[in-house]
Amino acid sequence: MQKYWTVFQVNWQNALQYRGPTFVSILGNLLHISVLLYLWNAIYSGGQQLGNYKLSDLITYYVLQLMINSMVLSYISWDLGNQINDGTFSNFLVKPLNPLYYWFVINLSGKLFEGLMILVVGGILSSLLINHISIPSNGTTLLYFMLSLILGGILAFEFDFAVGILAFWLVKIHSFKYMLQYGMFFLAGALLPLDLFPEGFQKLANMLPFRFLIYFPIQVFLEKEAQPIEGFLIATVWIVVIYILLQFGLRRGIKHYEAVGT
Amino acid sequence: MKQTVFRYFALYLSFLSHNLKNEMIYRANFLIDICIDIFFMGVNVIFFKILYGNIETVGGWNFHQTLILVGSVGIVREMAYLTFRKGFLELGEYVRTGNFDVMLTSPVATSAHLAFRHVSLTESFGEGVMGIILVGYGFAHLDAASWIGIPFYILMLLNSLVIYYGFCLLVNSLVFWLVKSQELNTVVYYFMNTARFPREIYHGLGKGLFTFIIPSSLIATTPAAILVGRAETDIIFLSIGVAISFLTIGLLFWNWSIHFYSSASS
Repeated sequence: MQKYWTVFQVNWQNALQYRGPTFVSILGNLLHISVLLYLWNAIYSGGQQLGNYKLSDLITYYVLQLMINSMVLSYISWDLGNQINDGTFSNFLVKPLNPLYYWFVINLSGKLFEGLMILVVGGILSSLLINHISIPSNGTTLLYFMLSLILGGILAFEFDFAVGILAFWLVKIHSFKYMLQYGMFFLAGALLPLDLFPEGFQKLANMLPFRFLIYFPIQVFLEKEAQPIEGFLIATVWIVVIYILLQFGLRRGIKHYEAVGT
Repeated sequence: MKQTVFRYFALYLSFLSHNLKNEMIYRANFLIDICIDIFFMGVNVIFFKILYGNIETVGGWNFHQTLILVGSVGIVREMAYLTFRKGFLELGEYVRTGNFDVMLTSPVATSAHLAFRHVSLTESFGEGVMGIILVGYGFAHLDAASWIGIPFYILMLLNSLVIYYGFCLLVNSLVFWLVKSQELNTVVYYFMNTARFPREIYHGLGKGLFTFIIPSSLIATTPAAILVGRAETDIIFLSIGVAISFLTIGLLFWNWSIHFYSSASS
């Protein structure tokens, strides 16, 4: 446990050092979200409506999406894949560290740091939009929301780790990994709420676990989710199943590992 | 003057042919890149398909007109890869490792050397072709297509490319302070990604912001408006003015920022 705590601290220092780039990346996301807010506003002021979303629901959806992007979604696959491709992954073979736990801690410290920064940005944004956002009616919703964020964060890490260890078998295809990630985020409801999708698509997205990353937490916050408890249970089952698959995949991958450059 | 232009053009061609030869070694990569481009363009189209499944128009643009916007962004992106984009994506690496030294000492403007370094035909080829197809498809479904608009459309696409280059220069100049450019390019990525929404969605403060500070609202809307037949002379002159200003300010800021480059190792 002690060693992972050290990893956490080292990476926290590292994140502090690169606070400038982190801030710039948040600005990039903010740019994206503000354009979408203008888009929804233009659509609604023309008297049109999307599904059963009020304008304030939609605005809340995208402000939360911005925050979830920083707090929940994991982006470690890039570095993990590079480690495998350039051979530095060999370090794990001689150190008493499990790569899965190591990267979990790295991701956790990064997300906590980015989360603190986005809370400030999101706070400012929400106070500017205070009359245009939907706020939960009771404390239970907030509690459920926090829980769904935690579950979403763990799942997001697991998927990202899975994408990262693909590098054991596939060399040098960054863009393919990027495509996988983008596909997952799309099915998670990053671009549009899933209940605006055509029916067949909705069924598919509901069966897949990706909705727990973005769509599900936001639905909980907006109090549109009919069965939050059932959702928590399903998400937990997915977490366990994917954890087992990851351990298995990791073992197979290491056997396949070529340790280039060492 | 004429000689300089000629020299830069010759330089560009030799970089292009060199990189093409390089890319041809990895034919499988080329195919993968095309598939990925088709995927991303596909997701964009699906986004609007779902959106227009719920509503009629966005800022006065219907579905087929919006496809022209989406396609135009794709075409500008491919033109950017053919002229400058990839060098900027690698800039952070050059600055961090100190390889940027080479560009400072070469007898060409650094902004040009960096741009031409990795001009790529194939990187975004799929996006360019998909873009042309989408524009063509949207154009074929217009009620009143204006054929005489096509040459002006192409001219304004080039104008958008200049805006894109100016913005890219401005944002990437910050690399000399941040020493990491991945995040800067996220901003540039979103800049182009949000360009596919019509300019009409902005009002008030946002309109100014997305015209003069982050000029994404002009990139696709100006050329597309010409094809759709709803362009007014104001917006054309505005776009040209913004292009000239961004190019000038971008180059000035870039040349000033270079002084803060601190090299590394060696």
